[in-house]
Amino acid sequence: MNNEKKLDSSDPELKPSRTAPAVAVKFVSVEKRPDFLEELPPPIIEMTPPVLRYRTRRDFLLFGVGAMAAMAGGGFLLPHETLSRIGVRRSVNSPAREWFLNRALRIDDDVAEALYSENRRVPTYTKSQISPLKNNYNGASPDPGYISEWKLTIEGLDSGLSVVLDIRSLMSQFSVCEQITRLVCVEGWSAIAWWAGLRFDDLLRAYSPMSQAKWARVESSVNLDASGNPDPYFMSLDLATAQHPQTLLVTHLNGQPLTVEHGAPLRLLVPVKLGLKNVKAITKITYSVEEPSDYWAERGYSRYDGI
Amino acid sequence: MNYSICSPADKPRTTSTSLEQPGVLVVKKHHPLVRWSHWLNVPILLGLILSGISIYWASPVYQHRPDPKTGNFDVAADVGIWICAHVPGLHQYGNPPDWIYNHISLGPGMLALALRLHWLCAYLFMLNGAVYVSGLILGGGWRSLLPRWTDFFDALKMLRYYLGFPFAKLIHRKWMHPHFNTKYNALQRAAYFSVPVGGFFSVATGWALHKPMQFHWLAALFGGFDTARVWHFWLMWLFILFVVPHVILVLADGWDTLRSMIVGWSTRVKRPEFTAK
Repeated sequence: MNNEKKLDSSDPELKPSRTAPAVAVKFVSVEKRPDFLEELPPPIIEMTPPVLRYRTRRDFLLFGVGAMAAMAGGGFLLPHETLSRIGVRRSVNSPAREWFLNRALRIDDDVAEALYSENRRVPTYTKSQISPLKNNYNGASPDPGYISEWKLTIEGLDSGLSVVLDIRSLMSQFSVCEQITRLVCVEGWSAIAWWAGLRFDDLLRAYSPMSQAKWARVESSVNLDASGNPDPYFMSLDLATAQHPQTLLVTHLNGQPLTVEHGAPLRLLVPVKLGLKNVKAITKITYSVEEPSDYWAERGYSRYDGI
Repeated sequence: MNYSICSPADKPRTTSTSLEQPGVLVVKKHHPLVRWSHWLNVPILLGLILSGISIYWASPVYQHRPDPKTGNFDVAADVGIWICAHVPGLHQYGNPPDWIYNHISLGPGMLALALRLHWLCAYLFMLNGAVYVSGLILGGGWRSLLPRWTDFFDALKMLRYYLGFPFAKLIHRKWMHPHFNTKYNALQRAAYFSVPVGGFFSVATGWALHKPMQFHWLAALFGGFDTARVWHFWLMWLFILFVVPHVILVLADGWDTLRSMIVGWSTRVKRPEFTAK
């Protein structure tokens, strides 16, 4: 008896089912908690007109402020060529914009560095997957005459001396590695090519950089600009990337010695970086503690370029 | 339970009784985070598309053999040349191959800047996506976006409504909007569900392109680096193809619908059976 009373008061579902079954069943089914995925009816609320007006005004003001901030942001970040096309005039030089975009770029570089793993190999391909590799550099190709006198100078060594090597001593001193990897250009195209050469890591072991060196400046002094004038190409490479087992100093492309267009007699192949880091016709490598300058970073591109 | 987050709006109920003013019934529609991320998407997506097409310019996905006369290989440049040759008033246009890039991108020949802007906007887009998803979860709005089995036939009903609407107007016949007991109709739901999914895939293909070596498995998932570019390009068109009818239909639907994305509520209280307990 006592037990039954308790049930009646604590469980409303039981009570109506006994007294008025037909109506109660309907009522219970409406009150039932809907399925987790089931859409709930939108809540209807009551507001007094002043409160509604106040909230509406507040939200529209916020919206207007946001819209103006977005337009100001666009005016600040967009290049003057784009803005002049929609009739907005702004001074050509904007150091603040450059500073801001470079800050954002450094964040992205830090993300790239955090993603990098020295143990992670890039995918390799088979010879049937090799695709044509174009010479994408818009400068003139140097006269092949430089190849016979070519020498590689290495500076910033632990010994304090600089080392000069010719191609024959390089090729006889180090074992040859081969790999078929993808080269990805900053422009968005890519090509799979078969490379052969020595490991950068082997060179680092044979001629160790000065202690605390974290960077290499890889340079080509034979590089020419579009009108054929000397335009030295230089690029920063972190030593962690240089030590990667797939970072090569390449002498052969697709089974043939490198042509002038592809950087004879020695070019850098660093598949974990964008193509613009893969310096052709290297003439000098300088190790340093501080980050060296970079040809494309000076022209507004990332300096890390890790892919 | 899920709408308890909207509680600040419940407060006026007490004031309404104390001042004895007639209250206005409104329906809660969009969580504040959903509204903010919705509007933030406008400048972010615009920045992504404009800079994205400037990046596309550097190495077009769609190319053909160089034209023997002009040396042009870019299909987008061909489209620009065609437009300048056929659209009245554009015959004097200075550089027809650049017409497309001068009108729907930042402009040709600014890859370095376009890349920096694209990555900046991409990080903002990812943050904004997280804000949007948080708003959907906090407000419970995600349930309204889920596809359901009845969607196929309901979508056909809506298509029939849209296709018949202009003819019904022409002959002054009543043309009833199909009735649905849900926040969105099946076509809206398909659109509002596929756009966030498309956003997710845009981000995924974007990372596959940005880090094709560290994320080579991701690039492989999309068919390799080159194919991931094609996906990334067409996902952009998903947003463009969504936005055009989206804006037209919101304007056609009326002020209440547009306002609800700014203030969060609608005065269209259609279903009295759902009044608050």
